[in-house]
Amino acid sequence: MKEVKGLNTVLGAAGLAAFLALGEAVPRLGLVKADYFPPTSRIARALGTELADKAFWSALGDTLTGWAVGLAVAVGAGIVAGVVISVVPHLREATASTIEFLRPIPSVALIPLAILLYGTELRSVLLLVVYASFWQVLIQVMYGVQDVDPVAEETARSYGLGTWARVRHVLWPTALPYVMTGVRLAAAVALILTITAELVIGAPGLGQQIAVAQASQAVPDMYALIVVTGLLGLVINVGARSVERRALAWHQSVRGEVAV
Amino acid sequence: MRRLLAGLATGTFLLATAACGSSGSSSSTSPSSGGTTTVKVGIIPIVDVAPLYLGQKEGFFSKRGLKLSMTLAQGGAAIVPGVTSGQFQFGFSNMTSLMIAQSSNVPVQAIANGVASTGVAGKDFGGLVVKKGSSITSPKQLEGKKVAVNTLKNINETAVRESVRKAGGDPDKVQFVELAFDQMPAALDKGQIDAAMAVEPALATMKLQGATEIASPLVDVAENLTVAMYFTSTSYAQKNPGVVTKFQAAVAESLSYADAHPDEVRQIVTTYTKTPADVLAKVTLPKWPAEANRSSIETLEKLSEQDGLFKTAPDLDKLLP
Repeated sequence: MKEVKGLNTVLGAAGLAAFLALGEAVPRLGLVKADYFPPTSRIARALGTELADKAFWSALGDTLTGWAVGLAVAVGAGIVAGVVISVVPHLREATASTIEFLRPIPSVALIPLAILLYGTELRSVLLLVVYASFWQVLIQVMYGVQDVDPVAEETARSYGLGTWARVRHVLWPTALPYVMTGVRLAAAVALILTITAELVIGAPGLGQQIAVAQASQAVPDMYALIVVTGLLGLVINVGARSVERRALAWHQSVRGEVAV
Repeated sequence: MRRLLAGLATGTFLLATAACGSSGSSSSTSPSSGGTTTVKVGIIPIVDVAPLYLGQKEGFFSKRGLKLSMTLAQGGAAIVPGVTSGQFQFGFSNMTSLMIAQSSNVPVQAIANGVASTGVAGKDFGGLVVKKGSSITSPKQLEGKKVAVNTLKNINETAVRESVRKAGGDPDKVQFVELAFDQMPAALDKGQIDAAMAVEPALATMKLQGATEIASPLVDVAENLTVAMYFTSTSYAQKNPGVVTKFQAAVAESLSYADAHPDEVRQIVTTYTKTPADVLAKVTLPKWPAEANRSSIETLEKLSEQDGLFKTAPDLDKLLP
């Protein structure tokens, strides 16, 4: 297991190095103009300048705030709504068509509404982030609840467990792996929407910095900031996976991985 | 872990309800502290708004009890709805957009001058450029060619059409395409477009790459054209005439100061944009007269009407200060 993991890390690093080398070579060979797609080294230098800039760090803070608050609201609301919809009789059937209608609406289509309601503040970012990531959690929770073993459910009933106790001891452990998948998906979607909202609406954050760099004809800076958003996504994904592994340490999907 | 998740869920719910509870009250009032009124201004991060930053720095606003909170809005599309819905007290917009808004009964009112063309052909902050080595030397030759403007049916298209008309060409034969300013240099370089109508800093970038300027369309529209103004919503102007008057005076002073101190303008631009130093050095600064030039706006209105931008003619008496 350890060896495989080590090999994976080496392979991952090699892949990244090859990608960076390609980014350096393509403009240098003249395949694309360095003015519009700067080589990796030039982007790295611009990244260095950004890291020394106070405005960058406050933008990063704004982006992370929008992401974290939006994700927390979406996860909280998604879990509660998912459980309630699944537990209350007939509610699932009654809401199914509405959910299927609302879910495919792209969050970015709500940008005009967000501007009208909240201008370019954090709240308009949150509107988009919560709308997009809420469904990821909700749908997973509903699948998870559906997966409850009827025998376990009946057993709990015959032992006289109340609704809350059944939610707590039967439904929740079954749904948790699904919930964690939903949270992981939502974490990525929330980041994408945070950056998009900042970029398009102009709310403070990394997205706005990208827009400013774009408008200023500062091409290397723009790519440097885009690289930062990519790194942020990477960190968030790794973080979400480790949370998932811990929360589900008892679950066979995680235990199985360790046993092999 | 489960307990933690449950706690998290409750916490976020409380947060969500708290956020909802406060949403109605905070938007309409302008927060004031110790006699200072903070006003939000929706702007685009370009050279044109440098006087506001300079004026803020020089204390032209604070000495009148105003504090500006600049909100950068990408492309400006968010500014008009932001001002009419009360998210911003003031906004920056080009004259054509303001006239279109007014003619469709959007309650906006221009209150202070924003930015003007330099009035000098070949030395303006907006220009019509072709690729290095292009055979096109006059706007007349753009018939049947692709010309990029940042927004179709807006001030830059009107201006290019006037340049073509003045050169003896038929503007209806020009094929206009919409392209953001920042994408124009690459598109022109690759030959995806034949000409581009750009403003700074995209204009300087293209000139640095060897592009040739064939016309100054904003100059062709009218002498010393008022290109953009600061505006507010009619309801805010009615309810807060004092704030508006102070803002007007502070903006006028800032404009004059900026016009007289170009070096300070170039310096302050680096604080809110990321324009590279070599480009910024080549940027042609606009003019910042303290007052808007009404006759130039009337000419722009006539041209816009001719090009079919309005359903009904805007009422300039209502729109202008």
